[in-house]
Amino acid sequence: MKKIVSVTVNGVLHELAIEPRRTLLELLREDLGLTGTKKGCGIGDCGTCTVLLDGVATFSCLTLAIQADGCSVETVEGLAEDGKLNRLQQAFVDHGAIQCGFCSPGMLMTATELLRRSDNPNEQDIRRAISGNLCRCTGYQKIVEAIKAASEDTS
Amino acid sequence: MILPRFDVLVPETVDEACTMLSDHADEGVRLLAGGTDLLVDLRRPIIPQHVPRCDGCTTHPEGRVLSTIECAPSDSDPLMASGGSIRTALEGPRHAAPAFLVSLHKLDQLRGIERLADGGLRIGALTSISEIERSPDVREGWTALAEGADSLGSPLVRNRGTLGGNIANARPAADMAVPTIALGGTLTLKGSSGTCDIPAKDFPRGPGLSVIKQDEILTDIHYPSPVPYSGSAYYKLANRKALEISTVGVAVWLALKEPGGPVADVQVALGAVGPVPILAESVREALIGKVPNEKTLLQAAQAARGDARPIDDHRGSAWYRVQMVEQLTLRLLRTVLKRIRDSK
Repeated sequence: MKKIVSVTVNGVLHELAIEPRRTLLELLREDLGLTGTKKGCGIGDCGTCTVLLDGVATFSCLTLAIQADGCSVETVEGLAEDGKLNRLQQAFVDHGAIQCGFCSPGMLMTATELLRRSDNPNEQDIRRAISGNLCRCTGYQKIVEAIKAASEDTS
Repeated sequence: MILPRFDVLVPETVDEACTMLSDHADEGVRLLAGGTDLLVDLRRPIIPQHVPRCDGCTTHPEGRVLSTIECAPSDSDPLMASGGSIRTALEGPRHAAPAFLVSLHKLDQLRGIERLADGGLRIGALTSISEIERSPDVREGWTALAEGADSLGSPLVRNRGTLGGNIANARPAADMAVPTIALGGTLTLKGSSGTCDIPAKDFPRGPGLSVIKQDEILTDIHYPSPVPYSGSAYYKLANRKALEISTVGVAVWLALKEPGGPVADVQVALGAVGPVPILAESVREALIGKVPNEKTLLQAAQAARGDARPIDDHRGSAWYRVQMVEQLTLRLLRTVLKRIRDSK
């Protein structure tokens, strides 16, 4: 039997009737059409499905949509401000921190959480923070540089 | 859909959750905390070698459990005495996916870290590993637990994974269970018939098996107040720094009678070298009452290796694991002694 779930996604409140086994990932991608969040491994190894659930970086593939009832979700689609890439996204572009781009949504959300929690993370902090987000193009160096640059850019 | 069909029940109180667990026992019911173990086990395995971390979870119709876990017979423990019984439990017929999940996400009363009046610490079972990792109280007074949190999974796993889930899953390598045992932690289990406290060391009964009853929920974990001149440490030996299960995990808690004086008490817990995390009793015999020096520490570390009962697997051979138990115990005893000295 379907259940009613209310969830605020990128500031917009949605009320949906969903099957209890539906994951937050499926709710975002299939019910709301927000396909920026990717499905990778589905078992909490790769991190590409990362979204912020009440501000906490969370695997959307290992979270039931029901568990997000009453919560606020931020996805990569919500990062841009006034139609322009935000500072972190722009830093990824400027530093070439995107190769195939599949890990980027998860990397961006994990980095967003880090930058909100820590004003001036050092390289070690950044590497540790993204240790659950896998990039198989192995472009980690540029991703680390982009996050560092975004943390320093206070303009 | 990623997951098989099930219904989700959302209790508002612990009592209600216990009732749900007992009411649906026949249809198959599992507790959902952080989901980082359970939801992985519920989905169709990506590789056939995936060993479900909880009995009755896998839905793969042709799934075969390839792992064979040999348990050394033990006279004192009826479950271990049979040796083969745990193996049978893992290789037994596939259970259907649970028809019900009881999701604890509304039970905020099970979250939080609280300093108690007696100097001890109470951590709610639903507290995330990240919260424990970032707690200054935990790092100062119960360092081994903070270091267990540091090394568990990845930051994303730690954000979702819970202390109670890590302990209740009863995995031999659990990064929170091993320090909890060394620190003398006590688990509070609540069921329909009441509440009971049991020492963390007595909780696990085999890989994925524990003393918890069908209608019981692990609600709180209690850590005793640090005594003077004491300290602790945990080290996880693994092939990677993140997203890895330990090859060997060692937690050491030690208290001196006085600065530079003899050892008043010591507890060493060993992970991933037996069917359950092991409290190395021989270390107590080897070290209590002795003044710690390189000779007595080495004797204690050698005693620890005698308590390990590892198997060969893809993470490491039994031979290697035993060597590492000795080395890590020695190293951690030195670390803890240095911490006690530095904290003066």
